[in-house]
Amino acid sequence: MGANLSRVHESNEDGPYPGLADIPENCIAGIFKHLSPIDICKLARLNRAFKGAASCDYVWEHKLPVCYQELLSELAISKPLSLSKKEIYALLCRPISLDNGTKEVWLDKATGGVCLSISARAMAITGIDDHRYWKWIPCDESRFHEVAYLQQLWWFEVDGTVKFQLPAGEYSLCFRVRLGKVSRKLGCRIYSFEQIHGWDVRPVRFSLSTSDGQQVVQECYLEKTGRIESNVPVSYARGNWTDIYVGEFRVKIENKLTEVKFSMTQIDCTHSKGGICLDSVSIIPSKLRKEAIKAF
Amino acid sequence: MASGSKVTLKSSDDEFFDVTEAVALECGAIKNMIEDIGISSPILLPHVSRKIRSKVIQYCKYHVESQKPGVSEDEIKSRDQEFVKVDQAMLFELILAANYVNNQKLLDLTCQIVADMIKGKTLEEIHNTFNIKNDFTPEEEEEIRHENQWAFE
Repeated sequence: MGANLSRVHESNEDGPYPGLADIPENCIAGIFKHLSPIDICKLARLNRAFKGAASCDYVWEHKLPVCYQELLSELAISKPLSLSKKEIYALLCRPISLDNGTKEVWLDKATGGVCLSISARAMAITGIDDHRYWKWIPCDESRFHEVAYLQQLWWFEVDGTVKFQLPAGEYSLCFRVRLGKVSRKLGCRIYSFEQIHGWDVRPVRFSLSTSDGQQVVQECYLEKTGRIESNVPVSYARGNWTDIYVGEFRVKIENKLTEVKFSMTQIDCTHSKGGICLDSVSIIPSKLRKEAIKAF
Repeated sequence: MASGSKVTLKSSDDEFFDVTEAVALECGAIKNMIEDIGISSPILLPHVSRKIRSKVIQYCKYHVESQKPGVSEDEIKSRDQEFVKVDQAMLFELILAANYVNNQKLLDLTCQIVADMIKGKTLEEIHNTFNIKNDFTPEEEEEIRHENQWAFE
């Protein structure tokens, strides 16, 4: 029941009282239950008792998501059973490649939330094989090292789907795009915006739906024609990677595969559009997205 | 055993104190002792002083009362927050006592308070606030820092 109880026995209004240094490891583990994994790793340096508690399987079991065994099985580990729960957590914080490198999954370090990224390669893009319209460009700013670049097209349609055993909670889905092309000359990034057109004529339609009937549809312009004299379209997405927020969905039942379908379309054939880079779709716990926005 | 039965607790300073059985059963360790030896003899708690025992009983009492209909969760939370407005000395005594008598709810509550006090503080601030010594050599500390580097990358 704890090694330092003699201190409680001695302590009264006159004697020394117990402090943080006197509580047993299982109580420190109880404190860690209310702290983030990052705080726990920092506190491992506090003293020996904290270091001991910071390695307890009991502490890290609560931080791992329910699907951690499935995630672990995606990594080719020779002796998975010999790993401590803390080691498993650390491993799963690094992106794990799925489906032949077209998807990645990882845990958010601070919260243990499961995050997914689906590359453009995993999506069905209309006209992707026609070099007049789309090209694959190597890109060091993409976690998949390449992006799909559209020169110009009338029928812009991107569809994708992902099936994963997500822990219960609310998740936000975003499309990661950039307007303009980037090339490198002598180690510098050169942006070219000449091919950007059509995004201020009609809005783009984004949608997501889940296998249990949740659905979100929203429309937005990727650019708005500015009121400046030059009448040049104004947008943040020119030259900058932008996460366009589509919406939220909720996972209620944990031990079940959640299927999410998503799309980005602009199929008004009276105008062409182009000059856009499509990188990926991200699905992250909504709490994380809200915190990132606050921080920004 | 009727729910109105009395259980006698004996603290470290040899004082006897009666509580209802429902209150006594809030603490896992006392519950186990009652299951083993019944309630006819006093339950000995040599590691808990009178002052701490009465604080723990106060907690157990209002938690038993809160199980009656009509008591909202917010009311219990609010009472919990009032209960832990104590100095550091009492807070750690409560943690040790809750651990000893195995009252998980009280242990969780008091650990949450300490966690809130720790959040946002640097290691140095924690050493000072809680008067806790770093018992590592510089080499050991460096090794721990290296082991945990993944969390800060």
